[in-house]
Amino acid sequence: MNRQSLTPVVAAFVLLGTILRAVVPYTPGEAPKGNYKDFAKPFLSAHCYECHDEDVQKGDLNLLDLGSVDETNAAVWKTVWAQVTLLEMPPKKQPKPGVVERLRFSDWVVNELTRVMADKGGFKVLEDPSKGNYLDHKLLFGPLPGGIQLVPTSTPARIWRVTPQEHITRLNELINTEPAYDPERPGLRTHGDVVPTNHGGELKLYFGTDRIIKWQGGTVAYATAVKSIPVVLSSSRAHGFENYPSFYSVNSAEANQILNKAENILKYMAYGPLSIAKPEQITDDPNTYKMEGDIRGLPSALVYSTKVVRPLTPVYELMKAPEATEGLLRAAVDYLFEALTFRPPSPKESDDYLQLVKGSMAKVGQEEGIFMGLSAIFLDRDALFRPELVEAGKPDQYGRVMLQDWELGLALNHALRYIKPDEELRKAIVEGRMRTREDVAREVKRMLADDSIRKPRVLRFFRDYFDHDLGGYICKDSAALASTGVSTRGTAHYTAMFDATASTDRLIELVLAEDKEVLKELLTTQKVVATNADRTYYGRKNNQEEKAAILAIRKKAQEERAKEESAELEALEKEVAALEGSLRVNPGDSQALKALNKQRKELGNAKKKLEQAKKKKRGDEGSADVTQAKLNGPKIFARVSHRSFGSGSMKPDRILATAPQGERMGILTHPSWLVSHSDAMDNHAILRGRWIRERILGGGIPDVPITVDAMLPDLPQKTLRERMEVTRVKYCWTCHQKMDPLGLPFEMYNHAGLFRTEELKKPVDTTGDIIDSGDPALDGPVKDPFEMIQKLVDSERVEQVFVRHAFRFWMGRNETLNDAPVLQAAHKAYRDNGGSMDALITSLVTSDAFLYRKVRQ
Amino acid sequence: MISRRKTLQSIATGVGAAVGSSLFPVLARAANQSARTPKRVIFFLQNQGFDPATCIPSGMNSSGSLAKAKLPEPIEALEPYKERLHIINGLHGLHTSPSHSAFFGALGGYRGSDGVPPSGPTIDYDLSKVLPETLLPHLCIGMDSIENMTAKPTVANLSASGAGKPIFMHSNPSQLYQMLFGGISEGEIRKQHEARSGMLYKIEQMAAEKGKSLPADDKQRFGQYVQGFSEMNGLRERLASVSGHLRKFAPKVDDRYTKPQFETDWHDCLLDLGISALKSGITSVLTIGSGRGEIFGAWKGLGVEQQGHNLGHMKQPDNPIWIKIRQYNSRMLVKLMQELESVPEGSGTMMDNTLIVYTSNNADKQHTNGATWPVMLLGNYDGAFKTGCFTQLDGKRPINALYASILEASGVQCQRYNMSEKMAAKFDSGIGPLTEILV
Repeated sequence: MNRQSLTPVVAAFVLLGTILRAVVPYTPGEAPKGNYKDFAKPFLSAHCYECHDEDVQKGDLNLLDLGSVDETNAAVWKTVWAQVTLLEMPPKKQPKPGVVERLRFSDWVVNELTRVMADKGGFKVLEDPSKGNYLDHKLLFGPLPGGIQLVPTSTPARIWRVTPQEHITRLNELINTEPAYDPERPGLRTHGDVVPTNHGGELKLYFGTDRIIKWQGGTVAYATAVKSIPVVLSSSRAHGFENYPSFYSVNSAEANQILNKAENILKYMAYGPLSIAKPEQITDDPNTYKMEGDIRGLPSALVYSTKVVRPLTPVYELMKAPEATEGLLRAAVDYLFEALTFRPPSPKESDDYLQLVKGSMAKVGQEEGIFMGLSAIFLDRDALFRPELVEAGKPDQYGRVMLQDWELGLALNHALRYIKPDEELRKAIVEGRMRTREDVAREVKRMLADDSIRKPRVLRFFRDYFDHDLGGYICKDSAALASTGVSTRGTAHYTAMFDATASTDRLIELVLAEDKEVLKELLTTQKVVATNADRTYYGRKNNQEEKAAILAIRKKAQEERAKEESAELEALEKEVAALEGSLRVNPGDSQALKALNKQRKELGNAKKKLEQAKKKKRGDEGSADVTQAKLNGPKIFARVSHRSFGSGSMKPDRILATAPQGERMGILTHPSWLVSHSDAMDNHAILRGRWIRERILGGGIPDVPITVDAMLPDLPQKTLRERMEVTRVKYCWTCHQKMDPLGLPFEMYNHAGLFRTEELKKPVDTTGDIIDSGDPALDGPVKDPFEMIQKLVDSERVEQVFVRHAFRFWMGRNETLNDAPVLQAAHKAYRDNGGSMDALITSLVTSDAFLYRKVRQ
Repeated sequence: MISRRKTLQSIATGVGAAVGSSLFPVLARAANQSARTPKRVIFFLQNQGFDPATCIPSGMNSSGSLAKAKLPEPIEALEPYKERLHIINGLHGLHTSPSHSAFFGALGGYRGSDGVPPSGPTIDYDLSKVLPETLLPHLCIGMDSIENMTAKPTVANLSASGAGKPIFMHSNPSQLYQMLFGGISEGEIRKQHEARSGMLYKIEQMAAEKGKSLPADDKQRFGQYVQGFSEMNGLRERLASVSGHLRKFAPKVDDRYTKPQFETDWHDCLLDLGISALKSGITSVLTIGSGRGEIFGAWKGLGVEQQGHNLGHMKQPDNPIWIKIRQYNSRMLVKLMQELESVPEGSGTMMDNTLIVYTSNNADKQHTNGATWPVMLLGNYDGAFKTGCFTQLDGKRPINALYASILEASGVQCQRYNMSEKMAAKFDSGIGPLTEILV
């Protein structure tokens, strides 16, 4: 029987199937019924074979013989799933499946792929944050079509591994006392803020930097001599959300290193700098410690003050005592357990670790045994993973269990913070006042209102959302970087980029402090937080004529100065010569001698001044490639790292300025974001466009087919826009139209983020287009990024997409259709409160999705 | 006949790598297909640069045989091993930013700098994944001043298993001995080893207990964590189970381990431990970081009073201090070769299947742009590399090409190592391995 004769029969089956399924409501999350033959094949036949059979094979794809899902055709099924789910297929002019039919088919494919790939690494695509937008936005925020029945939502019970940044910040609490919050200087890093990356972008735990008062050598010597431990837990984030619970585990190499570093930390907790330095290095009079010879880069090249600044904990008390009594040991165990897991140990946990410490002491002696035994606590499950297992609760009629007590308290704490719960929250947990939605609302409102309770997770959300923190990690080609007009000296550009990340972080905090129309403000603000280097980065790249004109003016000015100075010198020399002549005639003329000495002195000074002026000329005028931005404003601070690279690194000082008029609009036009979305040689318009498509418009981009050689031609005489013409062929354009026209307006800036009007001696083309955004009011061409951004921020859809991303971040998972009520409520809260982030967060953390867990069978 | 190596491999069946999985899919795929011949690679990176004038025989301006050449004074210890030596000049590392040190970029072939985390795996790690599996696939040792090795016994500057995943170097010989040979040790080391084993077993038990009630998905992920302890404990057990074999190769512990007079005592101990790990078949990749990838380091045991940065500021050719350090390195290389030669393997010796890569983590000198990155290879790696010669390249191929060559010789097809086509368009005039150095 050929396919032609099969079609009417299949169509009848489809119709029957549709009728039958129409009476059974579709419930998202329920396993779909049916097999390939009676469910999937009729769908393919009705909607796909027309173009993808053995005769037509559009896109070289024949689905006729696809067959049921197995490991050999899984990749094709994944493509089919993506195309159908993203509403890409069937194409526009073809009849469409109904919403429920499409959803059922999509679920069926996922279910089958999950089953087939279970022992082959699994099929976890749906868990990837980049696939969150595969769920049609209109279904989440628009009216639901008939035949869909939602169930009250919840999140799977789970354990959630801490991030590298959380881990380092948690350990930092053990050995460093961070400054208390100062409301007079709200920007400075303070207790509760994260440990940021260092001068090179590396995350490290530093020991004793708050006590170092002298060192030998320069910046590199300091960095080498200071004790530091690199991050151990891994994170492979490039762009997008950093951490879903399902992302990471802890491997044996990491566990081994955590153990090694635990002993270092414990020794520092006990002995302070004495654990890393000789007694004579600890003095308030650094001159008493003689640094003999060249000891740069050695631990012995540091002097520590005698002031104890680290936290003095029960570990310190234990090691100070002459005898390790049971009480002291238990106090140390219990303290450490809570410091590392954020909750007190159960009696059994306390006993287990106590026995372990005693066992180690018996084998290797008191001191080493204590350190060895206590280090085991650093590897407790709950020190590395945060459990949300609802083991104690009772399921409701939907099988959901609400988090309570420590699990709920720590979930809320983790929503905002990296360090352990503050005293009030702890008290609420211990007193049984963390069991209801109202309890959560009370605590979250309290914490959000208190600036001294630092909330680094909120800032982390914006980093993950904007991806503005990657600029320092983009390795730039030296020649390509030089062509942008910024400094290529040493690591100046990379330092500027890490500084720019901290500046953008601070700008976000300032917008959050106002808490009004947060997204809109971030996307349109004219404010910039700036360092000195930003006068260049927010500057304007000069064209050839402008550069030539600047050089000519400088040259002329220099010549005039030189002329004046020479004339001055000549006059002085003449006067000196005249006086000398006069003295030769009248050697005893004391008046003349006095005048001569005076003139000689003046001559000397004039010569010195001329020399200094010549030296100054070389460096202070800046590059003629750039017209520096005039940035002025009040002094503020940014949160930067411990001093990791001598006295000149990671300065917190900034100004809050206004961007040059008509050249910037919001974070997407700031160097931190632009460079984070660039590559070694140029801008990355595709990546920028993808960002707009996914994070702003809520659209999905299918994975690049493996047959695609995703390379732009290397033609230095062509602009990026011209080189990107290769993506216009139909095969590529289907996807690239979703990205390229959204990214190209940012060609207004070069790949270091400088504003430009020309590219390759031609006026720069900043036009773009919004195509198939999902909101017809947005669609259409735009002349530049400003017009595009302005259009976007006025869209309700864009705001809703922002809420979807906030949901993902705070729930640690992608949304499902059952989450629609939560998302709608969160958006309403945001809108009703004038675009308030606090309202959005409060709505999310008091939602069912945050509060309830369901144990998957 | 069941060789010593096969014995160890059969014991090691099922042992996972001690570090996470490779992010380099091509290599990961190739791991199962790599040649059966036991092979090993040693990377020896001296910090502060490797000036070509200190290794290229005087008057040799172009590629040719070393047979009639006289090796320069700093490496004269290698004169008897000239037929195994291949001096390569003219690779570059312009893209690695090697001034002061390229750090992870030296072995990764990407931009590195002080404080910059690794942006991908390094060649030593990737090789450890493709070479026949051993109990501990990759061992890194780092040599520094005694103070730095004591204060920071493990640092990570040179090797990485992936982006943001540094691999730590061992610098305290007692601790490393305990890890490798704790099962056959005596006295204090034995006590420490047993106490740590006991603790690890307890941690594994407690972790397993807390994993029992997890949901199915998490059970698998948490299982990896528990499995990690199981692997650590398993490694200890397996090492213990071949203790009779290991005993033959374990170095003798003496006062240098606990009371070193100079840092070079520890350097020597660390080298001995590295050699033992190779000879006993525990590991197949050894990375030695002399100066630990940074710009300091000390060699007082050689009579070099200056240390650290000053050494880097000195010109190396004809400099008595640098001659001493390089001669010390050369003696270490000779020791490595002699020791590996002493172990029969197949129809020859271990050295026949070994490649030693000697270079610096910052190209030719301390303040450099990386335009010249000299390398010495020792050994032909089972006949894969040309030896007894000097090769002058044109300065247009990056160190990545050398790493691609080693991967090829290890049975993995590799057109480019850690370099995108876009970067290659700027930094690599060719593609694939260096045909000039491969047989």
